[in-house]
Amino acid sequence: MLWHIVKRELFEQVNSLRFALAMLLTVFLMLVNAVGHIDEYKARQAEYGQQASAYSAKLEQNSSNLYKLVLNGPGELHKKPSPLSFCAHGSENNLPKFASGKRSGWGTIYNVSGIWRLKYSGFPSIKAKDIFPVFLKIDWILIISNVLSFLALVWTFDAIAGEVEHGTLRLTLSNAVARRTVLTGKFLSCLMSLGAVFMSGVLVNLLLLYLSGTLQLNAQEWSRIGGIFVVGLMYIAVFIALGFLISTLVNNAATSLVILLLIWVIWVILVPSMLGTIMSGLNQPSIRRGPSPVYFRYSGLQERYRARGLEDEAPTRKRPPTPATLLWAEFLNEEAREGARLHRAYLNAQINQIQIAREFNRISPTAIAQYAIESLAGTGFQRHLNFLKNVENYADQFNNFLISADRADPDSPHVPFVREGMSDKPVSFESIPKFQDRVHLGEAFKGAMLDMILLLLFFVVLFATAHVSFQRKEI
Amino acid sequence: MLWTLIQREILANLMTFRFPIAVIACVILGLTITAALTDNYERRLASYNEAFQTHQEKNFSAKTYSGLTLQLDRPPNPLSLFNQGLDKRAANSVRLRRDKVPSVWEDNYFSTGFDNPFRHLLASVDIVTVFQILLSLLALVFAYDAIAGERENGTLHLMLANPVGRGLIVLSKYLSAMICLMLPVLISFLLALMLQLQSPVIDYSTADFLRIGGILLTTIVYLSAFYLIGLLISCISRRTATSLISSMFIWVVLTFIYPNASLFMVNHFIETEEKIEQADRETSQIMEGFQREKAKLRDPFAPPFLLKGHWSGGSISKDVTHIEAASELEIPTVKAYYQELEPQRLRAVEAAWVVRKQAYSETFVHRSTAARNALRLSPAGLYYLATAAYAGTDLAAMEAFFKAVRQYRQTILDYFYDKKAFSSRQWFASDKGAVRWDDLSRFSYQALGDLTEDSSRASGELLRLLLLNLVLLIVTIVVFSRQEV
Repeated sequence: MLWHIVKRELFEQVNSLRFALAMLLTVFLMLVNAVGHIDEYKARQAEYGQQASAYSAKLEQNSSNLYKLVLNGPGELHKKPSPLSFCAHGSENNLPKFASGKRSGWGTIYNVSGIWRLKYSGFPSIKAKDIFPVFLKIDWILIISNVLSFLALVWTFDAIAGEVEHGTLRLTLSNAVARRTVLTGKFLSCLMSLGAVFMSGVLVNLLLLYLSGTLQLNAQEWSRIGGIFVVGLMYIAVFIALGFLISTLVNNAATSLVILLLIWVIWVILVPSMLGTIMSGLNQPSIRRGPSPVYFRYSGLQERYRARGLEDEAPTRKRPPTPATLLWAEFLNEEAREGARLHRAYLNAQINQIQIAREFNRISPTAIAQYAIESLAGTGFQRHLNFLKNVENYADQFNNFLISADRADPDSPHVPFVREGMSDKPVSFESIPKFQDRVHLGEAFKGAMLDMILLLLFFVVLFATAHVSFQRKEI
Repeated sequence: MLWTLIQREILANLMTFRFPIAVIACVILGLTITAALTDNYERRLASYNEAFQTHQEKNFSAKTYSGLTLQLDRPPNPLSLFNQGLDKRAANSVRLRRDKVPSVWEDNYFSTGFDNPFRHLLASVDIVTVFQILLSLLALVFAYDAIAGERENGTLHLMLANPVGRGLIVLSKYLSAMICLMLPVLISFLLALMLQLQSPVIDYSTADFLRIGGILLTTIVYLSAFYLIGLLISCISRRTATSLISSMFIWVVLTFIYPNASLFMVNHFIETEEKIEQADRETSQIMEGFQREKAKLRDPFAPPFLLKGHWSGGSISKDVTHIEAASELEIPTVKAYYQELEPQRLRAVEAAWVVRKQAYSETFVHRSTAARNALRLSPAGLYYLATAAYAGTDLAAMEAFFKAVRQYRQTILDYFYDKKAFSSRQWFASDKGAVRWDDLSRFSYQALGDLTEDSSRASGELLRLLLLNLVLLIVTIVVFSRQEV
């Protein structure tokens, strides 16, 4: 019986005007997306390649002396562009493309200067080409969250109310068929026909990218595309359930569409762009200007060490190390730690503000779907946090390498990280750990998991309510 | 007769559930967004004031003429609450040096508009964006059954049996729906304005109120355009359901898809890189030419040093604080060096600017014009462009700031020529007293420029929108008159 209803509904939907319009719209937008992606991706890949080779060249240059590495650090650590950026551009234009592990920039008496540390700047400056009246990128997220959700409402607004108006629902129910079968059948047919629209858009998009040679994905990336498709279907299902709910509550098809559209405007368009901004406005980062040398000067660190006689004596290469050398080493280590901590604290304050905004935005399934797809595509904020984690792990690895390279040199006094206490021999470039930015499949799915569960929850609640109200409806 | 019809229609519109929904939606959304944006504006203003203070102290601290570099700030625009345009994104702080002509298209200016640069990730909307989406939807919702519904119910037959022209019926439907739709707009607009005026830092002048009036007028014309689109569809469709679905598709296309897709295409298909790269090559050639000329002169600050003493500064600025008595004799040589060098430098910079300006007008300016033209095909685009011009946040307004900065740079150069600064000792040395900058006029810039200029740009778009209204009204009347009921 269920299959009969699904078949009947599917046939009706596929033959309607809206199906043709929807197909046209989706395929057109997917084409625009693919065309836009082809050039952009090539340019971005070339840029990343250049940056990566500049990074190795710099590192090789610094490897002529171990202490040069201690002072200058590994250099700019670049974020690897995601091959799936056509699914979700993730505001990558507004996110830093690198973190820098560079000189601290201060020097003091006895020719001692601060050792390297991580700094999180690198926000792209405003680009002349971005000066445009409105700028929204057409990616899968836009197509799924705006276009397909809208189509889902257009599909379902008259599903119950329309049949009630025409009296066909009575006819259907006069057969030996349970109400829940009718609702499930209608739901499945809607999901199938919208899924077909979505699928054809995706196929056209992927085909075009494949033919242009831009699409060289490995199995892992294909499975992420699969994940994105599933999230898209779940998101569509949420809106189909919403459509059924309103359609059962209202007796007139037109009224149902009007209410649905208002909900759509608020949920899809306004909440994701307003709520987060409002809520995050209440929670400002406490440090306004960022970590600057001023903080170090006033943090009392230097005074504390000066009181212990830091600047009375210079570090020396004597073995065993003199107290002055040890004190300088202690100071340099603590100063670097403190500097890194301040930079990190400032970054955390900034990130927290965005996290709060994102939590509030999750009231809207659109934001949820966006976050899930971005995590899977390896772009956007979540990916940036992963990148920062990679960078921090690498920083530890790099410091450990410096210490072990120093240990390997028998002529060194082994007092890291003061110049006089360390080896001044060249290190082999091959042995230096290189920064490798990568996204793991597991991490991507873990990042998307919460959002997928939330989306499922939305669907279950809406569909169950629709079910109950359909059961209780008088026809 | 018209009045009777209008009364009937108004009553019918007010009684539907759409009307209260429209009022509530407009008011709630208008107020929340205004509250958030006002808060944001206050913060931006505070950060501007802070930057302005710091720069004010630093700007004229140079002790020699050559040491003068200025940091000039652009204040945030309070009308960006209505349409933020480029106000938050365009550079709001410009470093002014004599060896570079600033332009809005350069990359290296920074924006102090946001404390947290990650906030660019959160989309931000303004009152116009909310209205652009919401009002067009409401207008279509009011219009879809205006004619199709009456035809379905058979009341249209009844009405036409009376001695009343078809044009009059369309007109009465249009006028009455507009009256009903204007109510929520006016209410939310006034409430939003009142909320803004509560803020201690927002203080609108008469000219600003005229601009706000212009935005309100554009809003109403935009609303009417969408109502007429809905009415036309309602006229053509046989059934209300068809009318509703086609209206909604047209709405999605006109407000979302077309503006985004057209900008995407314009951005993609108008090439800029090649021309900019060529301009870069030409500029660096010009500057290399200057460097060659410079190399022919004997640089007094390169070894072997002409002057013995202490100095600081970079390649284009020098500040000699102490000269040994023996070097005093060399001073005229140094003066002659700068007398020769600096005008040459300025000529080279000017020549490079001419090249870049040409390149910008062929690429970025060309592209933004194309984008503007593409947007004009959608009423939503016209609404955006007109309100951005009224609010003074469009590209032309941003360019006006850079134009003012360039003019001020010229003022400084003229001041140098006037004072014969290049051949003076104070060009490079402050040991005989620092330069006093008292007689150099200070830079000042108001966020809102000339009203007539902005409104003339806006009225072009407004006229297009009005024309669209007129065409739609006439077509609707003609279609309705020739239709069988």
